[in-house]
Amino acid sequence: MDELELLKQDWKKQEAVLPRLSYEEIYQMILKKSSSIVKWIFIISILEFIVWASLDLIFRLTGLNSKIMNSSIEIFSFIGSLLSYTILLYFIIRFYINYKKIKTTDSTKVLMENILNTRKTVKNYIWVNLSFFGVLMISTTIYLLFFTNEFQGDTIEYTPIWIVIVSTLLVTIVFIGVIALFYRLIYGILTRKLKKNYKELERLEL
Amino acid sequence: MNKELEHSFVTNLEQNQNIVHKVCRIYTSDPDSHNDLFQEITIQLWKAYPKFRGEAKFSTWMYRVALNTAITLYRRTKRNLKTTDIDTVNFKIKAEEYDDEVEQQLKLMYAAVKELNDIEKALVFLYLEDKSYRDIAETMGISEVNARVKMNRVKTKLKKILNP
Repeated sequence: MDELELLKQDWKKQEAVLPRLSYEEIYQMILKKSSSIVKWIFIISILEFIVWASLDLIFRLTGLNSKIMNSSIEIFSFIGSLLSYTILLYFIIRFYINYKKIKTTDSTKVLMENILNTRKTVKNYIWVNLSFFGVLMISTTIYLLFFTNEFQGDTIEYTPIWIVIVSTLLVTIVFIGVIALFYRLIYGILTRKLKKNYKELERLEL
Repeated sequence: MNKELEHSFVTNLEQNQNIVHKVCRIYTSDPDSHNDLFQEITIQLWKAYPKFRGEAKFSTWMYRVALNTAITLYRRTKRNLKTTDIDTVNFKIKAEEYDDEVEQQLKLMYAAVKELNDIEKALVFLYLEDKSYRDIAETMGISEVNARVKMNRVKTKLKKILNP
């Protein structure tokens, strides 16, 4: 193609008009912080871990937990905590391994795969957490309603069971919905370009 | 030790900064974005530098990190992307060096390259830098055959943009 050859010749000449930075200017640049996509994915994921861990802590500290504890479901709660911390630990390790794999010195394709894997791990973490929360919420309610005397107590005496069930369901759905939407937005914005480029590269392999 | 590393890195980059500027030229259209991308590439190069052991040429190693940053890591900070029409493509060519027709053709070519997607730009960039298909394939992580096929498609696409 003649035009591209023409461009190639001109490209070499362009070197003469490129900007030139001084030693000092470049030195100042290495002191600054990166604002790359990967860094943002990393920061947000760390925040997620903190948010979930502190939710758990608040749950315990506010006595909400002890109230449930009194309802003779210690084992239920213990298994729940054990499970959630195992999940957390597993994902922290996975996430760290993924993050370590991201190197700009890999080929473009490998680099993209590694970033998308990190992203996928975070996504899985969110879904596991949300489903865990949902199952816990619903099963705890059912347990309290049908297998204990909690709701035969003084305060909620006149609340019909169906209202308790429907409101629990509603709260759970809204909570999960809001969080899911929030994540979709954040990661959607962060990885849109990456995904597009990855698909483009994938197409090359066909 | 750290100072030594800093000094060797900055010296190396200062000498080879053309490569980074050229990547910025291909991927950005205004001076602010150019500087932003240059900054991000510099940080990524610096982060990877301790692992750079001189097994490849510094410049070869730079191509990879710079392109990877432009394609995968860089986020345009400005929301209001300026649309670049042909005249604003700021490649200053000395008027006396070309006749008008060639100059016009070049302007159109640069504008056409700007319309390509990020992956295609990378291919064109490496092609303009006179890299072999083997180098192109290795940098992108695709097979040599695919690099050739894709490059041909890019050429066709450029032709279509130029002669709609």
